[in-house]
Amino acid sequence: MAEISPDTLRTLGIIILLAPLGGAAISATLGPVFLRGRSHWPAILGVGAAFIAAVTVLLQVYGAPAGQSSILVPVYSWIGLGGGRNVSVEFLIDPLTSIMLVTVTGIALLIVIYSRDYMRHHDHPERGYERFFAYLALFVFAMCVLVLGGNFLLLYVGWEAVGLCSYLLIGFYYPKPQAAAAAKKAFLVNRVGDFGFGLGILLIYLTFQDLNYDRVFELVQAGVTATGAPIPSGRLTAIALLLLCGACGKSAQLPLHVWLPDAMEGPSPVSALIHAATMVTAGVFMIARCGAIFSASGTAMAVVAVIGACTALFAATISLVQTDMKRILAYSTISQLGYMFLGIGVFAADSAIFHLFTHAFFKALLFLGAGSVMHAMGGVIDVRHFGGLRSVLPWTFRVFLIGSLALAGVPLLSGFFSKDEILHHALSMYPVLGIMGLVTAFLTAFYTFRMVFLAFFGPARIPEGVHAHESGGWMIAPMLVLCVGAIAAGYVGNEGVGVFHKFLQPVFAESFVANHPHAVSAMPGVHSTVVAVASEQASHASFWSHYGLMILSGALSLFGIAAAFFIYVRQPWLASLARASWPEPYQVLWNKYYFDELYDQLIVTPARRLGRFCVGLDDYLIDSLLWMVTAVPRGLAFTLRGVQSGLLQGYALSMVVGIAILVVFAFSF
Amino acid sequence: MHDHAEYIIVGAILFALGLVGFLSRRNLIVIFLSTEIMFQGVVLNVVAFARLHQHLEGQAFGLFLLVIAAVEAGLALGMVVLLFRRRGTLDAQAWSLMRG
Amino acid sequence: MSATTSYLLYSIFALGGAGVYALLPRRGTSKTLIGALLAIAALVAFLVVVAMRFVVPDSSTPYFLLFSTIALAAAVRVVTHTRPVYSSLYFVVVVVAVAALLVLLQAEFLAVALIIIYAGAILVTYLFVIMLAQQVGAPTYDRSAREPFLATFAGFVLMAAIAGRAGDWRGQTPTRTIPVAFAETGPNQSTSGSTSNTRSIGAMLMTKYVLVVELSGVLLLVSMIGAISLARRKIAVEGVPRVGMVLGQAGREAKPF
Repeated sequence: MAEISPDTLRTLGIIILLAPLGGAAISATLGPVFLRGRSHWPAILGVGAAFIAAVTVLLQVYGAPAGQSSILVPVYSWIGLGGGRNVSVEFLIDPLTSIMLVTVTGIALLIVIYSRDYMRHHDHPERGYERFFAYLALFVFAMCVLVLGGNFLLLYVGWEAVGLCSYLLIGFYYPKPQAAAAAKKAFLVNRVGDFGFGLGILLIYLTFQDLNYDRVFELVQAGVTATGAPIPSGRLTAIALLLLCGACGKSAQLPLHVWLPDAMEGPSPVSALIHAATMVTAGVFMIARCGAIFSASGTAMAVVAVIGACTALFAATISLVQTDMKRILAYSTISQLGYMFLGIGVFAADSAIFHLFTHAFFKALLFLGAGSVMHAMGGVIDVRHFGGLRSVLPWTFRVFLIGSLALAGVPLLSGFFSKDEILHHALSMYPVLGIMGLVTAFLTAFYTFRMVFLAFFGPARIPEGVHAHESGGWMIAPMLVLCVGAIAAGYVGNEGVGVFHKFLQPVFAESFVANHPHAVSAMPGVHSTVVAVASEQASHASFWSHYGLMILSGALSLFGIAAAFFIYVRQPWLASLARASWPEPYQVLWNKYYFDELYDQLIVTPARRLGRFCVGLDDYLIDSLLWMVTAVPRGLAFTLRGVQSGLLQGYALSMVVGIAILVVFAFSF
Repeated sequence: MHDHAEYIIVGAILFALGLVGFLSRRNLIVIFLSTEIMFQGVVLNVVAFARLHQHLEGQAFGLFLLVIAAVEAGLALGMVVLLFRRRGTLDAQAWSLMRG
Repeated sequence: MSATTSYLLYSIFALGGAGVYALLPRRGTSKTLIGALLAIAALVAFLVVVAMRFVVPDSSTPYFLLFSTIALAAAVRVVTHTRPVYSSLYFVVVVVAVAALLVLLQAEFLAVALIIIYAGAILVTYLFVIMLAQQVGAPTYDRSAREPFLATFAGFVLMAAIAGRAGDWRGQTPTRTIPVAFAETGPNQSTSGSTSNTRSIGAMLMTKYVLVVELSGVLLLVSMIGAISLARRKIAVEGVPRVGMVLGQAGREAKPF
């Protein structure tokens, strides 16, 4: 294919940004009065245009000659910094960007289509219908800014903008107190992370005097600051850890994970798009994008890996006992994001991005399936209140089952391949973390199928007064497309047939691959993280170290499903027995390790006390000072108030007194 | 030469008495009567000056003063009637608020 | 005028001011008697001083003293009487006395006009209004003055400042400038009779002041229209709002803090 032209890419990038933004604007302005129940069209068309442009970008980048797949496209100069330097609006288009763009716009398109029916009841649009689609399209715009941006400032703009959209959509049902509280919580917790993120960007600017990706990464690889001096020791670690703060907030990693489960108060399509498939992976994307900085610091990479593994295991255990389908999926998302962090932490960024890619399909699918269940059950989503929906919602059951199989890591579905790769790299680098990942894999299979069996198997139970009905074509069709993705997405990265890693390789060649502690010593210049055919041929020992793991993790997931089947379908009393035998662990898990209570005690209560103290300060100290200051004019007014009696004679009297004084003076001199 | 200063003094006293009444009485009608007394003082004054200056301009001005007094009395009394019908009192203090 | 005369006049004004202050209607114990005595004393002293120091005695002097006494005494009663009807009637007396003084000043036409317009027309209107706005008994606002001391003080200081300098122009009397056009209707002719006075004023009004006369007519017309429109207005009767009884009382009642 021909060389890629910056002009074409610029046009495509602008389409990707402006089409959803325009859709949002049209939905927001024309929706309330003119479009009403048709407000989904601007969003669908805008996101669809963006998707087509994104696919074109992907094809262009894919067809680019070797070594030229990364290109910086300036759009216009944004902020002049003096001295000839400036911050531009610019696109960095490379394989990572194009994969993210296609994922984001593709999934968003399917979800916008799905929402057309989901946001209706008996073919009557919900209140705020146009607002919903405007927010959704705005989110796509913001996410594309985040992904496309060619410097840290644009990354930050997109980062905050998706946070805003997330806040708006979590609080979509704002009259509901829990929704409003959840939105606030998400925003505040993200604030904590974003504070660190902002500081990290400032530190980058202080060190390198620039925010452009290419320039910064070049300097990092050269090991010098803007002035040519060596980078101070520990500076890169500090930057990486500060950026990691932001990533932990946005991607809901320990200890900032508390907002994501509550974010499920938003409508299900929002949970699927923002809080499972795209926005929460921004942290992973950001670390992958800043690979040069992270991989240069062994400490930061270890921290990323540990956080990832701990989060994965921690969230999976909580999922074991939850009963709200969307919350189970939320903790599952946290757990899977932990996998991605673990993957990056062990220098397997391409595997992490691969997992991000496959996860987007099956997790979106699962959330849409849960949404379909919720739609059918009249808003009820707690598996204790319904069951045996297999026959009631046959299509939903089928797609949900496929999504669950992919999530559980059943061999030959997408989740299996990507998860397996991460586990492979983790085991070879940090065996302890790898074993934690394996345990998580088993738990994942178990809790996923616990949910499936509780919701779809057994005798049919439906809440009182609910007319359960299968969802319509607008909802089923996107789920079927996602099904195909959940089954097939793994094969693009499968060794032998897959091209995913080879495609991504140039992005990480100079960062993760070059800085890999084992690769540098063993095979300089050759990236061992790429599951390359060459390395497999090199040693037969790696057959067992790799395929052995494949077999082990496949077996673990099947075993987990079997265990769930045994406990929740065959012998349902076992679950109750377990609950009764170990009440304390059950309570700990049920209460999510008391994280909310801990934060409440540690942060919220002291902050509230401080707030009360400040209110008291304001009420008594500041106000009394003000009172004293205003006492002067008030006292003056009090003494002079009598003059303004409103009686004309009073005014005439003062006038006459004045005239008398004047006349006396005039005649005296 | 007789300068008629005594007439001017009497006019000034009339004016001052009217002023005192205007300032201190509370009945709207008496207030206006006081202004009429002030007019008397002024008329006496201008005529005395006319006499002093030996011409008639002062008398002409006295006539115009009468016109003004008549106009003022007509309008003022109309308003007094209006105000009285509205509030049922002739007290000037009943109208101390700057609103209708 | 000599300094002695000035200080004499100032003392007399102070005395008269005290009298008027005492005579003004008030709540509580009446000081009418003291006020009347003070006022009469001041009036008598004033007349004596005027007769001694100002008046060039001639045949009109007794009339001047008589009519100024009547005018001033009646004016004091107008200002101090508690009943508007009597105030009006005393005002008629003031008008008649002032008219007489105008005759002494050889302004016969103006004197007659004053009586016709004031005593005849304006006063009748006042009486009508008083009848219309009749209240049972003497209401509070007629029986109490507002800020009587300050008002009297200011009024009499002004009076003293003006009257105390009367006659200071003696010796500076401007040279007579009689317009040529009015030579035959000049002041000399005006002394010969009322007809001549009227004729001269008429000639002057119709020539030199014709524009002002026209404007006066317009003014009267406008005033008539205004009075009619005021009278025809429909009024919603409201209560008396709570207001301060004396100057600044409303302000003093309000709490500053």
